[in-house]
Amino acid sequence: MILNSLLLNNFRLYKDAKIDFSPSINYLIGGNGQGKTSLLEAIYFMCTTKNFKAASDTELLRFTSDFYSVEGFFSNITDDNVKIYYSNADNKRIYSLNNKSVTRTSDIIGRFPIVLLTPQDHAITQGTPADRRKFFDSVISQAGSRYLMNLMEYAKILKNRSALLGTISFSQRTDLMEELDAWNEKLVLVGSEIIIARKNFVREFMPFFSDAFKSVTGRNDAAGISYTYLGNGISDEIADSRIQDKFHELLKIRRNEELKREVNLVGPHRDEFIFTLNSSPLRIFGSQGEHKTFQVALRFGQYFFLKDKLNRTPVILLDDVFGELEAKKASAISEHLNELGQTFVTMTDFSNVSLLDKSKDNLFINIQNGTATYA
Amino acid sequence: MDSRVFNQGEKLNIAEPLQRAIEEFSKFPGIGRKTAQRLSLFLLKTNEDSFNNFINSMVDLKKKLTFCSRCYNISEDELCEICRSPKREKTTICVVEEASDIIAIERTNEYMGMYHVLGGVLSPLSGMTHDRLKIKELLTRLKDENIEEIILALNPDTEGDATTLYLLNLLKPLGIRVTRIARGLPIGGDLEFADEATIGRALTGRIQL
Ligand SMILES: [Zn+2]
Repeated sequence: MILNSLLLNNFRLYKDAKIDFSPSINYLIGGNGQGKTSLLEAIYFMCTTKNFKAASDTELLRFTSDFYSVEGFFSNITDDNVKIYYSNADNKRIYSLNNKSVTRTSDIIGRFPIVLLTPQDHAITQGTPADRRKFFDSVISQAGSRYLMNLMEYAKILKNRSALLGTISFSQRTDLMEELDAWNEKLVLVGSEIIIARKNFVREFMPFFSDAFKSVTGRNDAAGISYTYLGNGISDEIADSRIQDKFHELLKIRRNEELKREVNLVGPHRDEFIFTLNSSPLRIFGSQGEHKTFQVALRFGQYFFLKDKLNRTPVILLDDVFGELEAKKASAISEHLNELGQTFVTMTDFSNVSLLDKSKDNLFINIQNGTATYA
Repeated sequence: MDSRVFNQGEKLNIAEPLQRAIEEFSKFPGIGRKTAQRLSLFLLKTNEDSFNNFINSMVDLKKKLTFCSRCYNISEDELCEICRSPKREKTTICVVEEASDIIAIERTNEYMGMYHVLGGVLSPLSGMTHDRLKIKELLTRLKDENIEEIILALNPDTEGDATTLYLLNLLKPLGIRVTRIARGLPIGGDLEFADEATIGRALTGRIQL
């Protein structure tokens, strides 16, 4: 998949811009606050319908404007045109795909696969278990809409169930225990689907991740991902057919504790993914550099996985990643990028530019105060 | 021009009766402030006859209609037309969430049995527990009437499913055949339907720390 050009109207700093891109690497070079990350934001927005900066529409709106629009022209299996239009007066966003308005996110998600690397990726390996779940959830969701629906439903069940635990614990009404049983059944049905999807994903993802890890490091280290769920250890996997029973068992064991604390204590919302490097846990023994390598390899693993699964080549966005890496690694990665497909790289640091591949397909775009010029 | 002139919302000086009408219309499901304003102004401008027709139909709605004492369908009498009809199959009860679901099922002309309206679904988040639904009344009917089959036809959403599971557990030991309507395509995935926060977290969460 290639993004050939982008039209921006009143989006962030961009008043009225049309930017053509290279099918290879596009280096977006500029100082802080000049609008280079806004371009990645716009691209990610079109492909996922979500804003990765979690910005509100009014924040995206250029000063004093009453609408913004972002439009992209893609060469996909077919030529596709995606547009997001926001009007301040209606406070409404309209998505359209090939000039027809789209009401279901699933029409867009997965159709324009995208992989984003940002400095915030440190949270994947160094943050909380919730940060790791978010990473895996986002990748699995891009590969299939059923998983996303299950996640949404599961969140709803959790909210209802914790409200019920609170009501029971507050009122001491025993007649509500049968209601809790019903919610348990629903929790187990949807929760087990999520667990099985995550199990399958880690298994399918591993080869893509290993390959990515090897090409990033150039070494033969064994990088591993273990998925732990329903209180099992790293090595004792629970067969898919046993998951529902095990889930129910744990709910029974922890029922009193759940009622006392009014919190959902069992289920995939408490899962953990454990990263290992040559069999030792990365979280405990990993150096800063090893963490960084892991994060980059996870993202490239995501790229290869989505490419294989969706049969479309994802677009890669690198936000300020080169600034953080040593120069040697940066040039090694930029060599790899050339083989991968279309990439957008933001860079503040001009000193790194000299290390980059200036082969003729790559494009250097200077970004200054919402204006793009070709270098 | 002074921008304060355009201040919208409650503080604007509107004649009190009009203000009240707008407030009342705003309480309707799916009616926002702008629409409430339009509806109120429309009523104000309408002629005497059509205005009275409108008011009378509203008064009759509340005065002449009640809920069927057996199935809790909307009815003009103690028992609704379906419960009174000799043509209906009396051994089957279809359990629905709201009376409006009966209208939808009746339109298909496929079902000839009886109904039972629960008046909602289990939703601990909004304080809906089993005792606020017509579940006890359903169990009483199972004792009093000669029921052979119960069809659970609740909406296939999270709360509807939990309620179906609850009723299944309750009804199974009674030795009555219990079925549920076939689930269609999963809803969900709609932009309107989707819990934006949840999708947001799933898709971009790792970024927003
Ligand atoms: Zn009736």
